[in-house]
Amino acid sequence: MAKPRYWSVTEGPLVLPAVLLFTAVYLYPLSRLVAWSFFTPTLSLQHYRALLAEPAYVTAFINTVTLSVSVTATTLVLGYPVAYLMTTLSPRARAVVLACVLVPFWTSILVRTFAWMVLLGRNGLINGALIALGLVTTPVALIHNAVGVQIGMVHVLLPLMILPLYSVMVRIDAAWLRAARSLGAQPRQVFLHVFLPLSLPGIGAGCALVFLSSIGFFVTPALLGGPKQITIAMLIDLMINDLLNWGFGAALALMLLIVVTVLFALFQRALRLDRVWGGAV
Amino acid sequence: MVRRRDVLKAIGVTTAAVTLGPFVHARPARADKGELVVVTWGGSLVKAQRKAYFEGFEKATGIRIKDDTPPTPAKLKTMVESGNITWDVIETDLAAILTMRKDNLLEPIDYGKLDKRALDSIYPATRLPDAIGSKIYSFNIVYNTKALPAGKNPRTWADMWDGKKFAGGRTMNFGGGVTPQLEIALLADGVPKDKLYPVDVARAYASMAKLKPLVNKWYGSHAEAIQLVTSGESAIACTVGPRGMAAKREGAPIDVEFNEGKLAADHWCIVKGSHNREAGHAFINYAMDPKRQAAMSRDVPYGPSNKTAIEFLKPAEARELPSSPENEKLQWWWQAAWWGEIGTDGKTNRERETEKFARWMVTG
Repeated sequence: MAKPRYWSVTEGPLVLPAVLLFTAVYLYPLSRLVAWSFFTPTLSLQHYRALLAEPAYVTAFINTVTLSVSVTATTLVLGYPVAYLMTTLSPRARAVVLACVLVPFWTSILVRTFAWMVLLGRNGLINGALIALGLVTTPVALIHNAVGVQIGMVHVLLPLMILPLYSVMVRIDAAWLRAARSLGAQPRQVFLHVFLPLSLPGIGAGCALVFLSSIGFFVTPALLGGPKQITIAMLIDLMINDLLNWGFGAALALMLLIVVTVLFALFQRALRLDRVWGGAV
Repeated sequence: MVRRRDVLKAIGVTTAAVTLGPFVHARPARADKGELVVVTWGGSLVKAQRKAYFEGFEKATGIRIKDDTPPTPAKLKTMVESGNITWDVIETDLAAILTMRKDNLLEPIDYGKLDKRALDSIYPATRLPDAIGSKIYSFNIVYNTKALPAGKNPRTWADMWDGKKFAGGRTMNFGGGVTPQLEIALLADGVPKDKLYPVDVARAYASMAKLKPLVNKWYGSHAEAIQLVTSGESAIACTVGPRGMAAKREGAPIDVEFNEGKLAADHWCIVKGSHNREAGHAFINYAMDPKRQAAMSRDVPYGPSNKTAIEFLKPAEARELPSSPENEKLQWWWQAAWWGEIGTDGKTNRERETEKFARWMVTG
């Protein structure tokens, strides 16, 4: 069988603007980053050696990936039912739910993070209510730890999960579900064997978007987290902005890129995401 | 007779004028002496600086001052390396200056261009080859007065380290200025003010480890520290005293203890390759004037770098400044020289200790 052709004389020039843009805003800066990590001050592997020699940096990588995985899982668990609900609503009710999902999405991350500080703080609304109800006697630590970061990041990233899920679910033909029911499947079986597999592309896209966004998160962990939530992004900021150690900062950034690429490849294989991207990846 | 074509033409011209207006400045050729870009820390500080320095300087010289913020070393480095230099004068602390100096991002200050008389009153330790003192700040014990009312407030760094005597969370800087605060950890451990240098790094970390369980947030910016203390999230902060004082003036339940505080200076620097070095020196010269410095200190509670400026302030105004004679006696001067020393690993103490501190935070 002949291989499908992705490139032809007539179509070639059409992708040129995209290629130029991609080269200018992505490939060129990335090549500078690679150069810094190897050539500052002279050609050597010193930055990578320093990175691997210190357990703290490895720990920060593990912290960052663990945080991103747990945020992705939480947004999936919370977002899936919301996306499903949206497919069952009347157009008007759906517009309301969609607005509830999108309005926070358009609000500045900083504002939302500060709002959580007000709500979750020692003297915040939630602790105030808990104490007033007699459920606790001293304030519960809800921020400056893993709980706070988790809440803040899930809130920020939830729309990135709900929107792709919804766009896939809405295209699932109800006839498939009816067919399964008429063949005697219980609702649970209809969901597990028909709906869930058909929504898989949405799960894949949502998880990819949320995971990739949380890997580079800076503001929310910095404000709502404690020492255990120090992410690679925060260390890169320290190296680039405060210490002007661009060589080491670049090495951290590239290492993060490699880790993410490997994880993403594994994730793609596990979820058969090639179907989502149409086999072009 | 009104012709349709004329109306359309008028609309067209107006639209063009309105849309292109912002890009075409009708400048009087002679009065325009150009623009100087001064980069400081923004917010209420730059408002006070505009009133005290920028407005008068613009009138006196015809040079317009454009302000920008924040003066991050990384942005400056990008400018200098790309040759696209849009900043002229920056104001920043010695920690950043040490970093910028190592990367050769600053022009030397030409002291011959500055007024000799005013210069003699500028704190001698702040007259450096590539920087000159602009104002005095301090790191102090800043506490919540609801949690710790007067009489029951912490007075020493040892008090901040004492979780039994003083209840409530602590907050200290992870970012913002030089980290870690090794000298303050030594003071808390009983080292006298005049025996801080050279810094006993191991002892300082051991002391910091004792504080760690009390810290409920290692903050990243001083604005964040003030917010933490104001909201009662933390009871005691080690942060910039003048920022605490400014919050107190606005009615926040905050007070500042100057005892054992760390005094340090912000500096004016001229950016490497600035196109307005002449005007930059003229601005620095203008801002050295004691009366103008007193006006700034009245608005934002930073100390003047010109010692004689205190004479133009009322005693009540001076009392709130870190560098008033009474407050200066309670504190000690930060010695950046130790932080700038380069070790056998080719790193300054500042670089080595800040990196180590970040690792200590992650693994500890």
